Amino acid sequence: MLRRVICSALVAMVLLLSPVVTAGPVNSNAKPNATVSAQKVDATTAKPDAAPAAQQLMQVRWATHTDAVTGASKLRLVFDVSGPVEVDGTVTANPTPRLVVNVKGAVPAKGDDSVNLDGKIADSVNIGAVDGQNTMITVDMPMMVDEGDYKVFTLPADIAAGKPFRVVVDINKPIPPMVFNFTAGLKNKVIAIDPGHGGTDPGAIGLARIMEKTVNLAVALKVKDLLEKAGAKVLMTRESDCDVFGPNSSAVDELKARTTVGNFRKADIFLSIHANSFVNRTVGGTATYYYQKTQYDSMLAQNIQAGVVQSAGLSNRGSFPANFYVVKRTLMPAALVEMGFLSNPDEEKLLNDPVFQQKVAQGIVQGMERFFAQAARAGGDR
Amino acid sequence: MAAKTKVLLLMVIFILAALAAGCTPAAPSSATPGQEVDKEQSVQSSMGTADTMRLTVYYATADAMYLSPEVKVVPKTDHPAQNAMELLLQDPKSHELVKVMPDGTKIRGLTIKDHVAFVDFNDKLAKNNGGGSTTEMLIVGAIVNTLTEFPDIHKVQILVEGKKVDTLSGHMDLSEPLSRSEKIVKKSL
Repeated sequence: MLRRVICSALVAMVLLLSPVVTAGPVNSNAKPNATVSAQKVDATTAKPDAAPAAQQLMQVRWATHTDAVTGASKLRLVFDVSGPVEVDGTVTANPTPRLVVNVKGAVPAKGDDSVNLDGKIADSVNIGAVDGQNTMITVDMPMMVDEGDYKVFTLPADIAAGKPFRVVVDINKPIPPMVFNFTAGLKNKVIAIDPGHGGTDPGAIGLARIMEKTVNLAVALKVKDLLEKAGAKVLMTRESDCDVFGPNSSAVDELKARTTVGNFRKADIFLSIHANSFVNRTVGGTATYYYQKTQYDSMLAQNIQAGVVQSAGLSNRGSFPANFYVVKRTLMPAALVEMGFLSNPDEEKLLNDPVFQQKVAQGIVQGMERFFAQAARAGGDR
Repeated sequence: MAAKTKVLLLMVIFILAALAAGCTPAAPSSATPGQEVDKEQSVQSSMGTADTMRLTVYYATADAMYLSPEVKVVPKTDHPAQNAMELLLQDPKSHELVKVMPDGTKIRGLTIKDHVAFVDFNDKLAKNNGGGSTTEMLIVGAIVNTLTEFPDIHKVQILVEGKKVDTLSGHMDLSEPLSRSEKIVKKSL
């Protein structure tokens, strides 16, 4: 029997606020604008007498890719070429952020060209012949990318897959230079705590029928006590066994309601508390996930992970980037901790034990304290 | 004269390539668009015999840390992507790998439009998966990586009972079409 308790105050707040937070899906209108077979015809019919020795560089295809697992976003530009060329790339910040790609041994098949992109990672691509042998491609970007966040390379023709020689440009989405001025210590910090699942959504369930929503809440309430004793202000997405948005609500409404609690009330950090599950019941351990949307997300996850592993003593699976809604759509540094595996009978027993729950809670709070100390030092170094 | 021969040769190669591509629509290949892969390897894996095709399917490692590919040789059909999804529902040959798709999951359909595969499952995909975020991550990664083995598929949108879903079990953000993940792949066991 699931209790259907509604967190009435929270629901009212969330209903009022939900238009404030626009969490619409990232528009992906990236459409490769030519088919492979069409390009092959282009390559064969390209005027060989125009530049006999130079290869023909075809029109750009582009798409923004979201990594299915990590959620990391990158722009990929692909230029088909009639044959092998050499490429190099450099970035410059002045006068505006720009990636310059030199293509040695090819000229644009259809003359100089300019293509507008969606502006998320790059605004436009300009293709211009330098001379009868070489082409310069410039990619104008709204924000500068770091060395290591772009890659310019070539791919050989792949006859089996029907693909010609290609020049490829990958650009990772840069992290916006948001300013956080963290100070050390927990006193007066605003910390959002999200006990995962709840109400009509039990989350994972162990062999002994221990429900994830129950252990998540138990640990979250212990974290709240410890943080408040240390002088922090705690925002809970739920404080009882309830749905945050409403019973049987759509998944996205439920997740959005949780991020809204942190976003609207300007939490310094956000932590979602979960318990894991996998089909192989021997799998166990603690893991923490983040989405690197600020300079501090991975730092927060690493500190929480280290704190929980040290205090609770389960095996250390590590901290990883993940395409998880609540860590991605919150505005402040955020992490999602998977305390242990409910599918593992030993860990299920521990997760249901108040003594173990207290150790996890202490580990989380220690991790947060170390995070603020480290973030304060990092900020001071700038 | 030499330049003309070169052009002719190029034309022949392209026509052959076009023919090869035409015979096996969305021929399976480890040469994902733009992926930096060894050319020889991609040619190999895209070749079955005349009657068979090689499909690469992703399973979880037993410790639930990674996905790992397993190559299956199956009779050739005109819908290899759907076949690959059906293979994903079966157990792996290797004992070091674990099937991630929940019991009772069925494929309702698969369409490809503008290089995005829309793959539709019954509701067991969401209801029978056990609810863990690790499981959810491995399911999504396995579906996307298996489908993006096909050169024609660049992104994947997961549907449940014909509808777009924002998440499977409340962790992952599935609201937009997703691209391949290389980081989670462990190439050799």
